[in-house]
Amino acid sequence: MGDKVSPIEALSPASRAWGEIGERSEHPHWSMVVDQERCIGCWSCAVICKSENDLPLGIWWNRILTDGEALDQPNVVRGGALEMHWLPLACQHCENAPCVKVCPVQATYHRDDGLVMQDNDRCIGCRYCMIACPYGVRNFNWGAPARPTPHETGMVAARAVGTVEKCTLCVHRLAENQVPSCVWSCPTGARVFGDLNDPAGRAATLIRQREGYELLQEAGTKPSVHYLPPRRRNEL
Amino acid sequence: MSATTIPAGGVATRSANDRRALGAWIGLLLVVMAVGAAAFVYQFDTGLIVTGMRNTMMWGQYILFFMFFVGLSAGGLIVASAGRLFGVKAFKPITRLAVLEATVAVMLAATFILPDLGRPERMLNIFLHANLTSPMIWDISIVIVYMALSAFYVWLYARADLARRGSWLAFGTGTSERTLAREERAKGAMAWVALPAAILLHSITAWIFGLQISRGFWYSSIMAPMFIASALVSGLGLVILLALVLRRLGRLQFGDDLVALLGGLLGTFIAVEAFLVLAEYLTAFYPGSPEGDAVTRMLVGPYAPLFWFEIGVGLLLPFAILVVRRLRTNPRWVAAAAGIGIVGIFVHRLDLVLNGLSYANIQLPPGLPVGTDQGGEVAFATSYWYVPTIVEWLIVVGVLAFGALVFTIAVIVLPMQESEAH
Repeated sequence: MGDKVSPIEALSPASRAWGEIGERSEHPHWSMVVDQERCIGCWSCAVICKSENDLPLGIWWNRILTDGEALDQPNVVRGGALEMHWLPLACQHCENAPCVKVCPVQATYHRDDGLVMQDNDRCIGCRYCMIACPYGVRNFNWGAPARPTPHETGMVAARAVGTVEKCTLCVHRLAENQVPSCVWSCPTGARVFGDLNDPAGRAATLIRQREGYELLQEAGTKPSVHYLPPRRRNEL
Repeated sequence: MSATTIPAGGVATRSANDRRALGAWIGLLLVVMAVGAAAFVYQFDTGLIVTGMRNTMMWGQYILFFMFFVGLSAGGLIVASAGRLFGVKAFKPITRLAVLEATVAVMLAATFILPDLGRPERMLNIFLHANLTSPMIWDISIVIVYMALSAFYVWLYARADLARRGSWLAFGTGTSERTLAREERAKGAMAWVALPAAILLHSITAWIFGLQISRGFWYSSIMAPMFIASALVSGLGLVILLALVLRRLGRLQFGDDLVALLGGLLGTFIAVEAFLVLAEYLTAFYPGSPEGDAVTRMLVGPYAPLFWFEIGVGLLLPFAILVVRRLRTNPRWVAAAAGIGIVGIFVHRLDLVLNGLSYANIQLPPGLPVGTDQGGEVAFATSYWYVPTIVEWLIVVGVLAFGALVFTIAVIVLPMQESEAH
């Protein structure tokens, strides 16, 4: 990705240790586990994603949907109880990725570690991948990237007008053995980054124990991102 | 072409008045094309932000016109080649016109892909890095093959007459019995290739949409048959209109009985289209669709007027006209039905694009990032009201003018009327 130098080396040992990936198998399949029980819908991960990846105005790789009546209103469930959850949504890095299948020029492709990547130097901007993606996580650069400041903020190179971009699971940080920025920055620890090929690892264990689910499973996309459902509390 | 008279099967001597009208027509087309080209340069320079499309509605007018013109092309060629294959002699006077219409229409369809790309200058990547699992690659391949086929088909039909005129376009001057017999056999063989190619062309275009599980509204096995049916309606409709215009201009001769025959055929195609539309939407609607379901939205949502227009005006009205024998035998009524039918198919396709795309799959607030931050737009949306911008219109009209120009020149250069040499 870009020619920028990650400032990870400049971090204190404690900060580095905080963001370290931890145990992994020999051939990892990277996964994100999102705990809806813990998520408080603060949008911190969406905001740090914007600065980490230098997202222009109007572009969001990561956003938080509210499972409620409206953005700030809970659902009224049976018995008059109120319920409200959040669904942090970014690229699901599907194993059976519809975007990879339809891209006419192979600008969207798989890496061996399960990541779905986007080559912005090859993309012709036909937006077929956005049609094919059931999750709506792909963004198109409709105009020249606009920023609130004259400075580029990110740790990666900016993408050009007329191409599609999306979450890379902070691939530039993975190379430094650091978790994606949305993971270390989550104030409630609702995001766990890990290796699905390590059955004893934290991600795989959580998915097993907490009955983790895949978003829009009926589409058969086999996402690498898994969600841990909120536990129901029917009485106080 | 400096000749003022058209020999060999020639129909009229062009008067000075006609020449002036033709010059004005071509001048107008050139101006419109230039404006369209300027709009395209502006869009290329600024980005697709100048269109009405956004992340919540990522395809719009360009793709709509692409598939509409693929349909016009496939429909025309299916009628022409099927007529040849099944030995419908009555179709002969309009076969050349239908094949020419198909060729020009597929050229326009291919042109409409260009302004839809965010990076048109990288178009060669399609060939350098082709991804064979992409329906778009299948479609571009068949468009190229089909374009070559139909252009050759046009030439094949016109060659003998061109040779009689002594035109270099004939690539040879042979008009002997043997050459003509061989040509007849080649035309027959071409019909065998052109018919499946035309059906394949429009089926693959349908599969660009219909294979996407992410778009429940499109994800249906009926998409390809429905596209073929609507192609037959719009393609035959356009051939009828063009034939009547050329007859009025004295470039083509045929009797009113052919118009009635084509009108009856058009009515049948409309009935098939209506049947497929009913079969599709009844199946989707009957189980009691969840709130916000695409079919429910289509029937009663903000775009519902389009759907009811498509059913009432686009399908029922022309069918009602064509089913009455007295109206069917009147070319004016057939022309009206054909025109309304074409508009109906256009609206049908518009409805297909809008309802397929303008609602986010996951309908939780706040929805998708719209994709721009200018002009006080709301940053996120679960649905989006798409209106094409003036830039999109200028580009589309410019491409249409290009098509009209190619068609006009082809009609001048190529004899449309089959000569009665044998």
